[in-house]
Amino acid sequence: MDHTFYLTMSYALTALAIVAEIISLRVGRDTARRAIEQERDLETQD
Amino acid sequence: MNLYYFSAPATFYRLAGTMAPFFFAAALITGIAGMYMGFVVAPTDAQQGEVYRVIFIHVPAAWMSMFAYFVMACYGAMSLTFNTRLAAMMARALAPTGAMFTFVALVTGAFWGRPTWGTYWVWDARLTSELVLLFLYLGFIALANAFEDPRRGDRAAALLALIGLVNLPIIYFSVQWWNTLHQGSSVNFKGTSMHVAMLWSMLLMAICFWMYAIGASLVRVRTIILERERRTQWVRNLT
Repeated sequence: MDHTFYLTMSYALTALAIVAEIISLRVGRDTARRAIEQERDLETQD
Repeated sequence: MNLYYFSAPATFYRLAGTMAPFFFAAALITGIAGMYMGFVVAPTDAQQGEVYRVIFIHVPAAWMSMFAYFVMACYGAMSLTFNTRLAAMMARALAPTGAMFTFVALVTGAFWGRPTWGTYWVWDARLTSELVLLFLYLGFIALANAFEDPRRGDRAAALLALIGLVNLPIIYFSVQWWNTLHQGSSVNFKGTSMHVAMLWSMLLMAICFWMYAIGASLVRVRTIILERERRTQWVRNLT
């Protein structure tokens, strides 16, 4: 019996979940850094 | 060496930044080795054929989903008992990765179940308790972020994590306590009935997921530290 679909989908979805998490980690880090820079800029303007 | 030195967010931020790449590198190496063992060295299963190779990610993901929850609850207990900020942040940092592994365990289990059992899903005790674990993770994340004061969110979420601990023995022993469609453990502390190449592949993938979980939670805790400590001088001095 050919079970390629089930095997491929399992590994593909796992890879997708890990890639999505890595992207969310990078987005979260960049957002936090931007917020700090914005606060710093606002302070220097004051 | 004074370990309390590293419990300060400012010092742990730098330590986490140094350690995370090593954990990701270890995850990559063990992942490649595990996949090689699983797809090249491990033989085809006599009964299930090729589809059994799903277990090389399904079982380690299920282990990690439970282990990450246990560690998260320990951090929650530490933050409640000693009122440590870093422990609460680590608990928050682990939750999304734990939820991701729970999701992976459920999805890969479904893709293994369809050709093996003839269905993607049954309301079996093992599957249902694993789904409850996913809801516990999501509940933890939602509760931790539901308060304006993050320290209140930390305490509420830590309490939920501790209550949810009761689900872990239910997941583990469900195949013994109830008559489930899900098979019993192929690997336990007494030994295994698996082919040695299959076992090594599974163990290497488990180490890979473990290393990845540590690396990801270290990166995430750095972001949480930045968010929480953004008004402190050391964060402002960061370039």
